Amino acid sequence: MTKYQLYRLLVEQEELKDKRHPMFEKNRFMKLLMWFMVIYYAAILLLLGAILPMGMKGMYPGVAAFHVMDGQLIWILLTDFWIRFVLQETPAHQVRRYSLLPIRKNFLMNMHLLRMGFSPGNLFWGFMLVPFGAICVLPLLGWSGFLMWLLGWWLLCIADGFCYLFCRALCMKNFLWVLLPIAVHGALLTLVFLPDKNLLDMPSTLLLYGFASGNILYFLGIGLLIGLLYMANYKLQMRMVSLEVAKKEEVEMKSTTQMNYFNRWGIVGEYLKMEIKLRLRNSQVRMQFLMGIFFIVLFSVIQYFSDVYSGTFMTSFICLYDYIVLGMMTLITVMCYEGNYIDGLMARRESILALLKAKYYFNTALLTIPFLIVIPLMVTGRTSLWMNLGYMFMTAGILYPLIFQMAVYNRDTLPLNQKLMGKQGNTMQQIISIVILFLPLLLAKVCVLTLGDVWGHLLLVALGMVGICTHKLWLRNIYTRLMARRYINMDGFRSSRNA
Amino acid sequence: MKIIIDNLKKTFGDKTAVDIAHYEIEDGQMLGLVGNNGAGKSTLFRLILDLIKSDTGHVLMQPSNNELYQGLAHGTVDPATTEDWKDWTGAFVDESFLIDYLTPDEYFQFIGRISGCTQEDIDSFLAKYDHFMAGEVTGQKKLIRNLSAGNKQKVGIIGAMLLQPKVLILDEPFNFLDPSSQSAIKHLLRDYNAQTGATVLISSHNLQHTVDICPRIALLEHGVIIRDIDNADGQASAELENYFEI
Repeated sequence: MTKYQLYRLLVEQEELKDKRHPMFEKNRFMKLLMWFMVIYYAAILLLLGAILPMGMKGMYPGVAAFHVMDGQLIWILLTDFWIRFVLQETPAHQVRRYSLLPIRKNFLMNMHLLRMGFSPGNLFWGFMLVPFGAICVLPLLGWSGFLMWLLGWWLLCIADGFCYLFCRALCMKNFLWVLLPIAVHGALLTLVFLPDKNLLDMPSTLLLYGFASGNILYFLGIGLLIGLLYMANYKLQMRMVSLEVAKKEEVEMKSTTQMNYFNRWGIVGEYLKMEIKLRLRNSQVRMQFLMGIFFIVLFSVIQYFSDVYSGTFMTSFICLYDYIVLGMMTLITVMCYEGNYIDGLMARRESILALLKAKYYFNTALLTIPFLIVIPLMVTGRTSLWMNLGYMFMTAGILYPLIFQMAVYNRDTLPLNQKLMGKQGNTMQQIISIVILFLPLLLAKVCVLTLGDVWGHLLLVALGMVGICTHKLWLRNIYTRLMARRYINMDGFRSSRNA
Repeated sequence: MKIIIDNLKKTFGDKTAVDIAHYEIEDGQMLGLVGNNGAGKSTLFRLILDLIKSDTGHVLMQPSNNELYQGLAHGTVDPATTEDWKDWTGAFVDESFLIDYLTPDEYFQFIGRISGCTQEDIDSFLAKYDHFMAGEVTGQKKLIRNLSAGNKQKVGIIGAMLLQPKVLILDEPFNFLDPSSQSAIKHLLRDYNAQTGATVLISSHNLQHTVDICPRIALLEHGVIIRDIDNADGQASAELENYFEI
C-alpha cells in the first residue's frame, strides 16, 4: 500500500467515525443549524468584504483602503484564534487510535497536522478578503498583487491555526495553560490600546504589503514561522501521545473523604456527595466545571471594570451571564455523565429524583460565588444589589427549571474522562441553549422597563422565589416525564456509551 | 418472590432476542440460565429489571404469603408499571451498574444509605463477604475503575446482595473471577438462597458451576426456552453436554 492509499484509507475512516457516531444521525437539527450558521457567517463576511472598501476609503487621506484593513490584522487573527477553541479539534487522539497497528506514528501525526494546516476552515476569512481584495487590491496592484495578498492572509491564518493547536494541546494537559494565549494576546492589545498610537498598525500594514508586492523574504519569513510552529506542534503532540499511551492512572488515591457533613440531608445528601465526587474525580467533568467557574470569575472581574462599557446594558448583560454561565455549561448536559451508570441508578427506587434534587441544590448553592465576588461593587454602588439579587433568583427559580427539562430529553452518554471533541449537543439542547441565551435578557429588560430598576429586579426575585419554592413539584414532574421516556433514554445512553 | 413471565417478546430489528410464552420461577427457587451467545440471557434479565421495553407481554413478581404478611409487597407487581420491585430486587448485569469513580467502600455505603441502612448494618453485612473479597476490595484507596476485572465483578455482586434482596439477578457472576473466588461465590449464592429464601437467577457459560448450584436450569436458544431442566439431583450435566456438544 502506498502512502497516498494509506492516507485515503485513514481519511475515509475518520469520515466514517463522524458519520457513524450515534449522535450524528440523531442530530439533524444540529447539522442544519451548523450549515445555516456557516452560510450566515459567510454571507456576513461577504457583505463586510463588499462594504468595507467604501468605509475605509476615506478613513485616512492618501491611505489605500486595503492598508487600513491590513492594519486590523491583529483583530482578525485574535478572532480566528478564539473561534477555533469552539470549532476545531486537536489531532492527538487519532494517532493513539492507530498506535498498535503497523503504521508509523510520525506518518499519522504529519498527516493530521497537515490536514489541520490545510483545512478548508483556514480559507473562511476568504469570504471577506476575496471581495475586499477584488475591490481594493486588484485595481491597484493587479492580479499578482491581489493573489499574493490573499496568499499572505491565508498563510497568516495557517500560522494562527498552528498557534491554536499548540495552546489547545497545552490546555488539554492543564487548563491553566489558557492563561498563555490570554497573556500573549493581552500584551498585544496593550500595544494597540495603551500608547497614543496603535503600535501594531504599521507593522501589520507593512507585512501584508510585503506579501502583496511578492517580496520573497516575507514569504520565507512566514514559511519559517509556520515551519517552526509545525515542529513545535509535532514535538508537543508526539510527547502527549506517548504520555497518554504509557499513562498509568494514579491507582492509589492519596485520600478519600467521608463528607459526613452531607449525611444530615439523608438520601439527597448521598447524591450531593456523589455530585461533588463526580466533579473531583473525572477529568472531563472537572474540566467542564472549572471552565464554568473560570467564566464566573471572569465575568465577575469584568464587572469591576464595567466602566469600560458605556451604558448600563453591557453591565446588566455581563452581570446576568455571570449567574447563568455555569448552568448553561454544565446543566445543559444533565444526566449525560450519569449515562455511564444509568442501569445501576434505574434499578433503585426514585434514585433519579434524588439525583436531580441534589443537582439542583448543588448548582443553586454555586450561585453564591458570583454574588460574593461582586459584593464590594455593590457596597461601593457600582452595581446594583437588586440587579444581582434579581438575576440570582431568576437563574435558580426560572432558568434552572428550564434547563433541567434537558434531563427528560438527554440520552447521549458523555465520557467521564476521555476528552470531548466538539460535535456534542442534540436538538433539544440547542433549542434550550438558544432560549436561555435570550429569554433572561428579555425578561429582565421587560421587568425593568415596566417597573423601574428596583421594582423590576424585585419582581425577578419574586418570580425566582416561586420557582425555588416549588422546586420539588417541578423536579417531580421532570422525573415523571423522564421515567415515561426511560426506555428511549436508556437505549440512547447504552448505544452512545462507548461510541 | 415468584416470577411469572407471560407472552414476553423482544426483538431487535429482525432478530428475536426473547420469546417466552409462559414461564414461572417459583418463590425461593434458584434458576440457572444457559445458552450460547445471543441466546437472550442478558436481554431477559434486562426485561425483568425493566431496563428495556418488551414488544409484548410482561414480567410479574408475585410475593409469597409470608412476604405479604411482612409487608414487603402488597400484591403482584409488574416492574414496568411501578417501582416497588426495586425495594426487594438486587442485580448486577454489567459495569453500567457500577459508579466507577467511587471506591468500593463508598459504593457500598452509597447503596446502603440510600436504602436506609446504617453504617453498622453495612459493615456487618460486608463482614460476611470477607473471604470472597480476599482483602482486595474494601479498605483500599482505589476507585472501582482502577480495580481488576475480577474485583469489579466482586463489587457488583456484593452490591447486588447488599440489601439482602428477595430477588437476586446476576448475569455471568463467574466471569473474571479466579478459581478460588468462583468457588467462594458458588458457596455464597447457595447459602444466600438457603438462608434468605430469595429467588436467585443467574446466567452463565460455565455449565459445571451452573449445574453445581442451580436446582433448575433453563436452556435458551434464540430467545426461546427450549428446555426446562430439573437439576435437583445434578442430572442436568449430561443433557447440557449433549446440547452444547462438549
